[in-house]
Amino acid sequence: MTGRLIRKKKDNSDSPSNTTKVKKIAIVGLPNTGKSQVFNNLTGEYTLVANYPLTTVEMKRTRCEIGGEPYEVIDTPGLHCLYIHSEEELIVRDMIFKELPDIIIQCIDANQLKQSLTLTADLLELGIPMVISLNAIDETARKGVWIDSDGLSRLLGVPVVESITVNGLGTRELKGAISKARRGKWSLRYGKIIGNGISAIESELPADASFKRKIAVLLLLDDPFLADYLRAEYGEEKVAQLKKEVNRVRRQFRGNVGRVLNNKRSRWVDDIAENTTRKQKITSGEFSKTFGRLSRHPVFGLPILAFFLVTTYLLVTHVAGYLDVKLSALLLDPTIEFVERLFGAEDGSIRSQFWYDFLVGHYGILTLGLFNAIVTILPILSVFFLMFGFLEDIGYIPNLCVLTKRVFSRIGLTGKSVMPLVLGFGCKTMATLTTSGLRSRKEKFIAVYLIAFAIPCSAQMGIDMAIFGRIGIKAFMIGYGALALIELCAGLALNKIIKEEERSDFMQELPAIRFPRPKAIVTKTYYRLYWFLKEAIPIFIIAAAALFLFDKTGILDLTKTLMSPIVEGWLGLPRDIVDVLLLAAARHEAAAGLTLRMVDAGELNYVQCIVTVVITTMFVPCFANVVAMCKQMGVKTGVAMAVAINMSSFILAGILNWILIFTIGRWVL
Amino acid sequence: MNKKRERDEHIEQLWYMKEGGEDSIDALKSALNASYDTDITDELLSEDLVELSEENNKIALTKKGEDYARQLIRAHRLAERLLYDVLGGDYESGACEFEHTVTHELVDSICILLGHPRACPHGMPIPEGECCKRSSRTAQSSVIPLVELEVGQSARVAYINCKSDQQLHKIDSLCIRPGAVVTLHQRYPAYVVECEGSNIAMDEEIVANICVWQNPEHLQAAGKEALAQPGGKGNQWGRFRHRKRGR
Ligand SMILES: Nc1nc2c(ncn2[C@@H]2O[C@H](COP(=O)(O)OP(=O)(O)OP(=O)(O)O)[C@@H](O)[C@H]2O)c(=O)[nH]1
Ligand SMILES: [Mg+2]
Ligand SMILES: [Zn+2]
Ligand SMILES: [Zn+2]
Ligand SMILES: [Zn+2]
Repeated sequence: MTGRLIRKKKDNSDSPSNTTKVKKIAIVGLPNTGKSQVFNNLTGEYTLVANYPLTTVEMKRTRCEIGGEPYEVIDTPGLHCLYIHSEEELIVRDMIFKELPDIIIQCIDANQLKQSLTLTADLLELGIPMVISLNAIDETARKGVWIDSDGLSRLLGVPVVESITVNGLGTRELKGAISKARRGKWSLRYGKIIGNGISAIESELPADASFKRKIAVLLLLDDPFLADYLRAEYGEEKVAQLKKEVNRVRRQFRGNVGRVLNNKRSRWVDDIAENTTRKQKITSGEFSKTFGRLSRHPVFGLPILAFFLVTTYLLVTHVAGYLDVKLSALLLDPTIEFVERLFGAEDGSIRSQFWYDFLVGHYGILTLGLFNAIVTILPILSVFFLMFGFLEDIGYIPNLCVLTKRVFSRIGLTGKSVMPLVLGFGCKTMATLTTSGLRSRKEKFIAVYLIAFAIPCSAQMGIDMAIFGRIGIKAFMIGYGALALIELCAGLALNKIIKEEERSDFMQELPAIRFPRPKAIVTKTYYRLYWFLKEAIPIFIIAAAALFLFDKTGILDLTKTLMSPIVEGWLGLPRDIVDVLLLAAARHEAAAGLTLRMVDAGELNYVQCIVTVVITTMFVPCFANVVAMCKQMGVKTGVAMAVAINMSSFILAGILNWILIFTIGRWVL
Repeated sequence: MNKKRERDEHIEQLWYMKEGGEDSIDALKSALNASYDTDITDELLSEDLVELSEENNKIALTKKGEDYARQLIRAHRLAERLLYDVLGGDYESGACEFEHTVTHELVDSICILLGHPRACPHGMPIPEGECCKRSSRTAQSSVIPLVELEVGQSARVAYINCKSDQQLHKIDSLCIRPGAVVTLHQRYPAYVVECEGSNIAMDEEIVANICVWQNPEHLQAAGKEALAQPGGKGNQWGRFRHRKRGR
């Protein structure tokens, strides 16, 4: 009896009708309002949290149980309002329109209540049950701002949960509020003419259409992306019909409907904000504000940037170097000894040279594969990611947008493309994905190209610093100076070649400087390293095995001989650097490990070392990045770009080689 | 009632039609509905302000008529700016009779006071006057572009000149809108403006389009006062009357 019951239950849970019943929760909100942090708190998973907009550029979903019920929770990129300004916002609206989430959690940064309420106005109009998570109230309290969350809840008609997400406070309340999510009060009135117009357009929409009212409003606002959605959903004919109706309403209302709608909404927002916020008249000066201002100041900003760079450099070279030595002694040396004992004969010769080499030889899967990743690269990345996470969490990085603005506008990057380029120093793949927000194809092209080209991503920068650390900070400055110059020239050239189109506006919100939270930084570093190891170790091992095979079969030697005119003649590098280049094609970190080994063995001199770092930084954007490039620009352009980047990296690195030989080479060597 | 006012209505409507690319008599009729009057169109025709072709069902302003209309529209839209941004009134339902009662000089001095706005709150262009061509700004203007503030200074936004609705919407979503207080923090290498607790980096072009009160307290107070006593100061700008548009 019971057995039958259980089986029945189980069958039920597997049937499709039940899987569709899992309720969807969409976490939406303005950029940098703590959506990902709330997602992590609710689900127990981890997505990247950082103190700047555009951290999340793709949906992240997961199943979890809240209050005993299964839910699918979706973390989304930032959204300003449902009237779309750029494509990264479009994917959020499309998700809402197409997947019809059952519950929306809007994250509001209490520091910026007004900005967020604009989005609230739009979301309420959808008629989806909602909960508001009022984040960062610890910060408003410190600033002497008090927000009446109960009052807010009463005015909006939806639950409002105060939270300090970074400490996990408010998560329990939020979970409790999810079952109480409500549709909310719709108290925003547009006036008679527009109100009637909206109803008229609504009645033109199919009876079973969702979000009729919001769609009518968006049609009146002339949303540039809405027609595509409607066409896909209801067909060309309906769209034409709707357009006619919209034009009729617009004609009836002399003047600009869009602006009137906006003004009404703004007043509604101002009203609510005024009724729920109390501000202390005087507050003490804030250190974080002053620091933010200094860090983007034309005079003080550069020393601050230099300070961070040098600190990172010193930490990477010294701390990571120390860890490297310790780990070698702990892991690498015993393993090699063990393998030697395994294959060693009495007389000290080695019984099976082949297997010995396979494991711990020059291209051994342990030496060049596993331990390369764990002993050499891992310490470098740990130190670097800790430092980088610190900069991310205090919110320093977007300030670079301000400092570099003039330089970027010189190379044709005027508006919104500045931020993606700056983000390229974090992760090139993510940065490439953020270029989907760029409307102008020219800007998009230049941005995608430059991100893939001479910008070192954070991992690359870490390992570059480690390599330069072996030969001195001057080399670091020369190498990165050269990269900057190359990037600038590439930008200038592209700007000249591609014909001008309209420029986009540059308007970048700068997050407030926050105090770093060690725990958050350590967690983030842990996950970054974990992801790195999970992804990279198999590749490291396979790449080592491949090189080993090429070496044993003689293919490697042949390649080196064939490439020798380029490698030895033009680039001035030893022929063994071909190993590095081949590894770089698989994974830059693997190549860096080998480079470090060559530097330590004295196989590379000063100039060669710089040239190697410069060429590997430019050479072959990582696979994920190429995929992202193809996604943004189309497969043909994406691949063409990758090829162009590789060719130019050979040409430019050669030029650099000759310049260095004729300048510093004389006195260094 | 007032014959001049009705005449002006016809002429203004013809201007709107021109902006909308229309020129049929039917369109004029349907736009004005009850107040459409053939006597007036005849009169305008005889004064050489419009050209009419009955058989083609076409009506349009002549050069002379356009000049006349331009003044009306200019006054109307400047009044909207004044009403909405300065006095915080609601302009959607209320057009004003302002344009029918004021002199050129008064219109120009309002234009100077507001720093020569380029568009009305609806986003329709305000025709340029002599003052705009001379671009007399100087001390008389109470409204200046945000770029002219000193670094560290705060001011209240008066209005925003925008090249497109899209751009305005974007600026609006950052809460930069008439009435909001903004602070200019930095000019170089990029402009940094603080508004409602968030810092925003921007291009010079955008900052130049944001117009702020030079001396906010003084002017806001004057505006509020004018609204508070209908018979008082407000009256010197003409009588505001609310009227429903369309049906
Ligand atoms: N002090 C404080 N900081 C918070 C709180 N919630 C979020 N933050 C910080 O706000 C920043 C942004 O958090 P995220 O979760 O990355 O925000 P997001 O909305 O996912 O951002 P995007 O994905 O970039 O749109 C992080 O630095 C968080 O540490 C809070 O309640 N208190
Ligand atoms: Mg996020
Ligand atoms: Zn107007
Ligand atoms: Zn003027
Ligand atoms: Zn918007």
